[in-house]
Amino acid sequence: MPKTTLIVLAWNRWDLTERCLRTLQATDLGDAEVLVVDNGSTDETPYRLAELPWVRVLSLAENRGFVRGNNAGIAAADPASDIVLLNNDLVFTQRDWLPRLRACAAAADVGIVGCRLVFPDGRLLHAGTYILPDTMWGQQIGSLEKDVRQYTRDRDVEGIVFACAYIRHEVIERIGGLALDFESYFEDTDYCLRAREAGFRTVVCGGVTLVHDEHGSTQKDSKELMRIFQGSRDIFRRKWGTKLEGRYRREVLWQSILNFPSGYAMSCRELLRALEDEGVRVLYRYLYGPRTVFPVPEPEESHDYRLDVIRARRVPKRPGVAVVYGQGDCFRSNRGRYKVGFTMLEVDGFPADWVRQANAMDEVWVPSAFNRDGILRCGLRKPVHVIHLGVDPNYFHPGVAAWPNPAGEFVFLSLFEWGERKEPWLLLKAFNEEFSAREPVRLLCKIMNRDPQVKLKEEIRCLRLRESGGRISYLFNLEFAHYQLGALYRSADCFMAVSRGEGWDMPLMEAMACGLPAIATDWGAHQEFVHSGVAYPLPVRGVVPAVAKCPYYDGFSWADPDPDELRRLMRHVYENREEARARGQAAASEMAASWTWRHAARRIVERLDAIGA
Amino acid sequence: MVMEPLADEPEIARLTARVAALEAALEERSRELRLIQRYVCHRDLVLIARLRSGLPPLPRGAYEPAFWHETTDLAAADVEQTLLDLWTSLIPPAPREL
Repeated sequence: MPKTTLIVLAWNRWDLTERCLRTLQATDLGDAEVLVVDNGSTDETPYRLAELPWVRVLSLAENRGFVRGNNAGIAAADPASDIVLLNNDLVFTQRDWLPRLRACAAAADVGIVGCRLVFPDGRLLHAGTYILPDTMWGQQIGSLEKDVRQYTRDRDVEGIVFACAYIRHEVIERIGGLALDFESYFEDTDYCLRAREAGFRTVVCGGVTLVHDEHGSTQKDSKELMRIFQGSRDIFRRKWGTKLEGRYRREVLWQSILNFPSGYAMSCRELLRALEDEGVRVLYRYLYGPRTVFPVPEPEESHDYRLDVIRARRVPKRPGVAVVYGQGDCFRSNRGRYKVGFTMLEVDGFPADWVRQANAMDEVWVPSAFNRDGILRCGLRKPVHVIHLGVDPNYFHPGVAAWPNPAGEFVFLSLFEWGERKEPWLLLKAFNEEFSAREPVRLLCKIMNRDPQVKLKEEIRCLRLRESGGRISYLFNLEFAHYQLGALYRSADCFMAVSRGEGWDMPLMEAMACGLPAIATDWGAHQEFVHSGVAYPLPVRGVVPAVAKCPYYDGFSWADPDPDELRRLMRHVYENREEARARGQAAASEMAASWTWRHAARRIVERLDAIGA
Repeated sequence: MVMEPLADEPEIARLTARVAALEAALEERSRELRLIQRYVCHRDLVLIARLRSGLPPLPRGAYEPAFWHETTDLAAADVEQTLLDLWTSLIPPAPREL
């Protein structure tokens, strides 16, 4: 095991340095050396440090700034020693933080390891960084989100902030210390990119979380800081701009919907991020708006920096490849020289107008074999490819935070929009009839209703659910941030997805990725990823005409889920919890291994390569 | 033989009177609740009982159709707060809280 030197850079604010060192000393440091670089402090820091025999002190005559101060520490350390750069405003709340970082750095090609950082109030501050060549403004991944234990696995990232950075000595031997081009800002991203060019990966160790009580160790005012920031940004752009642009090997125009709480929008956001990660420069245009089937203008803000940047990119008049991702009656809006229509539907066929427009595309994408077969049956003559959708394992995994019912009830959970397709009355009645109010079990339904013609309370009342039957609770028209949904799933014991038909089913896949056993209708797109090894497929009695308000379903059919089988499966899961848990764990493993957005993006990249995008 | 009066007899008398007063208060409270019960639903009864006992009211979560205000608007919510609120609303108050 290599020797390790922890370098704490301090400038005044002894209160912060004292807390940092006190909490640091209480952790498992092994034989690591602690070196405090006093960056010319003028307060009590110098003589206070002299009182700490377990700390080696390097005193600098003046404040040399972050870069030179840390480089002085690196130069003073044993050259054979791995280095951990630490800010003095860190608070160490995890005893094994250093052994974990060290273990993460053990792989031969890992050069730099960072960790999760949280604000003192518990919100996530950092789980790695990325920088877009459009703006050259580094962004911290996950920043400002509530900590629901997202990003807790080890992951490769473009960069990390150097508030806590484990740097292997081999990296320092190859590329030296922090670049002196930068007085402050950008030096950490620059270092990670230099390490990458030298063949070293940068990783965030998801098992380590430290508190970063951000206080800049500077006496400069905000105007001066902005001047330094802009100066460093210009240097960074000159140094890395071309190389960062060069990581895009393909370009595509994505015409879709982003800033609404719809399934297409949610999946669009994920696909755009994943495509960017795979080296696709994505341009975006809103598919709907005035004079379309959905005439509502799109809100400007996506509350996601990367998506806002993508949204602001200029689109050429005649882009090379364009993908319309939305309803098939919008395919005619495709602006590309090579036109792709990407759609899905919940019934066993596609409307004639959709097929007509699909036949004007160069090729068509659908997420399931179910939809592929359906559109071919309805007369598609163009090539059709199955592009699965996916799940984000950083937010949907079994380790996500949970707030289960403290009364110990077994909780079945279902999320749906009230309407014919989701067939909520089937679930509510089956549950209410199968269980009794005396049993410690509950059905929790998160229901959305945006149809003013639907009187939800009256419709539920008309179901005449028994007081003595299984107890049901409802979450009506609540909108949770998507990143928090994993915590909702993890707070239940079994997920229910018993609709009549699905074009995909992101909530089901997300719940499975979180390790929940799921009862899901064995029909439609579910059959792509639901099988008895990872879930409980709900048999159907056959198909029935798809009668609903939605005009796209006219003349087609969907599933008729078997209510007796539904009751039997709910009872089975309730009484065989170990088996159900094991099935949920198998689901989580399968989702993470084969069904992420990265998998979806790579499949798209395969098509783009074949097209020549 | 004449029994000497016990030294703590006044204390016993005071406590006896106190118990009688509490029993009377309890009887009055039960009568009130039986009366109120005729006119209000179970949840309101629990609420009144909690407030009368100096306990905080039940959470205002609308987790049953009867307590939900029909709307097609979406309300932003936090998963942790919502679930804690929901679970709290489901736990019946212990008898001593009434």
